[in-house]
Amino acid sequence: MEEEKLKYFEKYREIIRDFDNFLETLKTPQPYWFRVNTLKIQEEKLIERLETKGFRVERFRGLNAYRILEMPVKHPGATVEYSLGYYYIQDLSSMAPVLALDPQPGERILDMAAAPGSKSTMIAELMNNSGTIVANDISVDRIKSLAANIERLGITNIIVTKKDARNANFDGKFDKILLDAPCSGEGTFRKNPWGFQGADEKGHSILGRQQKMMLRNAVRHLSEDGIIVYSTCTYSPIENESVVKYGVENLNLKVLKIELSIPHLEGVKEWDGEKYEMYEKCIRIYPHLVDTGGMFIAVLAKQ
Amino acid sequence: MQFLQNNSYRIYFIERFGIPEHVLNTYTFWERGRKVWAFSGELWDINGVEVFGIKALTKGRDLKPSTAFLRIVGKYAKKNVIFLDDNNTLAFLRGRELNIDYPADGGYVVVRRKDDVLGCGFYVKKEKRLISLIPSKYRLQETWV
Ligand SMILES: C[S@@+](CC[C@H](N)C(=O)[O-])C[C@H]1O[C@@H](n2cnc3c(N)ncnc32)[C@H](O)[C@@H]1O
Repeated sequence: MEEEKLKYFEKYREIIRDFDNFLETLKTPQPYWFRVNTLKIQEEKLIERLETKGFRVERFRGLNAYRILEMPVKHPGATVEYSLGYYYIQDLSSMAPVLALDPQPGERILDMAAAPGSKSTMIAELMNNSGTIVANDISVDRIKSLAANIERLGITNIIVTKKDARNANFDGKFDKILLDAPCSGEGTFRKNPWGFQGADEKGHSILGRQQKMMLRNAVRHLSEDGIIVYSTCTYSPIENESVVKYGVENLNLKVLKIELSIPHLEGVKEWDGEKYEMYEKCIRIYPHLVDTGGMFIAVLAKQ
Repeated sequence: MQFLQNNSYRIYFIERFGIPEHVLNTYTFWERGRKVWAFSGELWDINGVEVFGIKALTKGRDLKPSTAFLRIVGKYAKKNVIFLDDNNTLAFLRGRELNIDYPADGGYVVVRRKDDVLGCGFYVKKEKRLISLIPSKYRLQETWV
């Protein structure tokens, strides 16, 4: 059944470098990564406590992010330290869009599709609970998890709204906007291969259209020298480079080149006859680079 | 329903727990219905707010502090704090009631184990009972410290 499911990804053989290695990695379960919540505990203290309990972890250079190599529990959330909000289970790839956003204390930030809050809570941590984050999502159920995570991690600078990111008014302009758009989720395959759905051509194009609407609405809320980070956890160029291209051609956006400490590759140059001029400035994280999920990121600003 | 700003709730935390005023001044307090929320962000008019910072208090016959907010500011509390040993910590996290004699006033208390603020308890002074008010989502049945 697994082999069968992997065939789905053949459509990307031409655009994913080192494709056979990529496929091999998809066959292996994704390790758990976590982020130390430095709002509540010192990193060294938490790691010492977890190691005393029998965890073996490996720090990712320069970040408060750890890969779990061994643990004394079935689920990494089954500890007192987790319940106290000292850490958050989050894939390294999902931290990348926040690093690209580079939030600063005091800023006004909009997270348009925020639940369950992995990125919003990380943004709050980097802002040291100052400034303001509007964390939005359309789904009531997912907002419940978002609220629970905010509470557990002790985040106090977030306002949660329940609006449609395609056209809602978020009342005012923002210094930075994260659009972590709903997507076909191909990059999460390793987390749950059994439940993986993906999308067909029509599915990708419906999602692409919706993502473009959200990007258009993001621009409407962006301050003059602000930035938008557009991200998805999928590989389809229709949901990624094509959306960015739309932003450049129709919304007066430009793509900024950024440094990112997490290993990545550049974007896709051409897909299905469509050329993407700005591909070199786009960022793609693949599972076979550092044993994570997959992610696409582009940083956009007004031209 | 609207959130209405009312920063006088700071006084509750100052008087009940001796938390320094400057710690509480980082938050504005907002009432909606029976709940009071604490928010450390800057403000501007925004519509359709579902969650505003973190729940800090519930209004009833008296004011009941939330475990979530005490887990943030409780480490600054200078009175009405009860420190537990490891065994009692586990019982408290399971939601059990404890029999302990402790120099704290009756009423709501900050419950700790070493550096950890475990959450909110209710101390019945006369009967030397500590009731765990940890919400069920934070309770842990099978765990160790
Ligand atoms: C990729 S997930 C977001 C993950 C989140 N940023 C995190 O890091 O935890 C996409 C989210 O978009 C939300 N969503 C879908 N359609 C939406 C819409 N029209 N407006 C706002 N949110 C929407 C979904 O409910 C889902 O929670």
